[in-house]
Amino acid sequence: MSRIPAKLQRWFRQNRQALLWVVISFSCLLAAWQIASMASGGRLQIPPPLEVFQAFFTAFVKPIGQNTILEHAAISLGRVLSGFAVATVVGVVLGIAMGVSDAVYAIANPIFEFVRPIPPIAWIPLSILWFGLGSANKVFIIFIGSFTYITINSYEGARNVDPQLIGAAQMLGASRLRIFTKIIFPSAVPYIFAGLQIALGVSWAADVAAEIIYSQSGVGWIITMGMNNGNYTQIMVGIIAIGVIGYLLSTVMRAVEGRLCRWNRQAK
Amino acid sequence: MEPASQVILQCEHLSRSFRRPDGSMYQVLGDVSFSVHENEFLVLFGPGQCGKTTLLKLLAGLDRPDGGTVKMNGQPVAAPAPSRGVVYQTTALFPWMTVMGNVSFGPLAQGLSKEESRRRAQYFIDLVGLHGFENHYPNQLSGGMQQRVGIARAYCSNPQVLLMDEPFGHLDAQTRYMMEEELVRIWQEEKRTVIFVTNNIEEALYLADRLILLTDCPAVIRREYPIRLARPRDYVDPEFLHLRQEISRQMDPAQ
Repeated sequence: MSRIPAKLQRWFRQNRQALLWVVISFSCLLAAWQIASMASGGRLQIPPPLEVFQAFFTAFVKPIGQNTILEHAAISLGRVLSGFAVATVVGVVLGIAMGVSDAVYAIANPIFEFVRPIPPIAWIPLSILWFGLGSANKVFIIFIGSFTYITINSYEGARNVDPQLIGAAQMLGASRLRIFTKIIFPSAVPYIFAGLQIALGVSWAADVAAEIIYSQSGVGWIITMGMNNGNYTQIMVGIIAIGVIGYLLSTVMRAVEGRLCRWNRQAK
Repeated sequence: MEPASQVILQCEHLSRSFRRPDGSMYQVLGDVSFSVHENEFLVLFGPGQCGKTTLLKLLAGLDRPDGGTVKMNGQPVAAPAPSRGVVYQTTALFPWMTVMGNVSFGPLAQGLSKEESRRRAQYFIDLVGLHGFENHYPNQLSGGMQQRVGIARAYCSNPQVLLMDEPFGHLDAQTRYMMEEELVRIWQEEKRTVIFVTNNIEEALYLADRLILLTDCPAVIRREYPIRLARPRDYVDPEFLHLRQEISRQMDPAQ
């Protein structure tokens, strides 16, 4: 027997209990959905789960509008990852600069505190006027909505370095640059990841909002089109796609964090 | 054993005060002067929580005195430098680096090549008995093992003086005895000047060539004792117990 199935078998054995609860949990949801659908009488307003899932999987081969559902998802993901990547670079650099330099903090913080509470969707009209109707305006909204979380957390991380560790590094002869790259930055990484995790969720929400308001593709567009055509099934297909992608994004993020912050885990 | 004649570290009239949150000052270090000789194991021993760590920080260059001077090889100590290695009570290991990463940090920071740094780190990792744990992270090690890493890291940047701030203070009694034994073994194999702070009289007597007894707040030197017991020492040796009793009596603030 090859190694992977053996591993998978072990995983199933170890997580049997948890998996069972997941199955029960989703069964409850589906049952409630089915009952609601039947109670509402018509198949129109709350389409039954089976119909929605049928439409969902059909959409893998039969396009909704111009694209199949996978293509819509890929378009949305491309926007999210572009905006999120820019937000990560800007957020980490700005946050750490604010953390290590009082001057940068004094200048950047007031602006930052002003921008922070503005919800990303408030930028949508301006962003459309600035960047046009295509993907660029979504990337901007994703960026503006998510970089604040990364900045705040990077700042906190850079501020909360154990001063004794800096002292220890100095005693061992480390230069300022080495102290920055080997002590301050790694020490901030768990904080940064906490910020990235939130920011990725916000990015996804911002992208969907922007697509719902105006777009010609993407999973948000599926919903808007469904609404315009009175197609409830299509709306629900869009919602399922949004949920699945959101879940996958945060799972991938946690896995990356677990890999990079191995040292931060409690000893088994 | 007579201390070697060469003075390596000297402090004169050191004092240090801190400001309380309410603005008033409290003095933790009185007027402390002493010299440390090459390859001597000097123990700074005192009751309470006052002044000893501050004194060690001043010797390290991590803090500045309000008055007095610290000189190493005749040069004033003004900043941290790898010629003085510190072993911390809380270990202060870099948690995102493996044992090898921690121990080789010093030589790498001082510009040695990667190979040379690893080779030297390996020597000290082996010396402190952690062979096979090179790729472990600190949180995967026990308290005693973490402190072994701390000792190896301090040794590995090849300091002339090792400053140890109650390094075994957080360990359980059994591990503590073992680590004291280990430290003497390591020190006899790799002789360095050691200044060791503790508030445990057994530990002080087990380790010291010379013992400086400090008073509680503000810390000043009460007495000095040369400890001439043969190594390895025995905690229940009559001579050991006699010294222990005598120094304990000196510590009593009622005296």
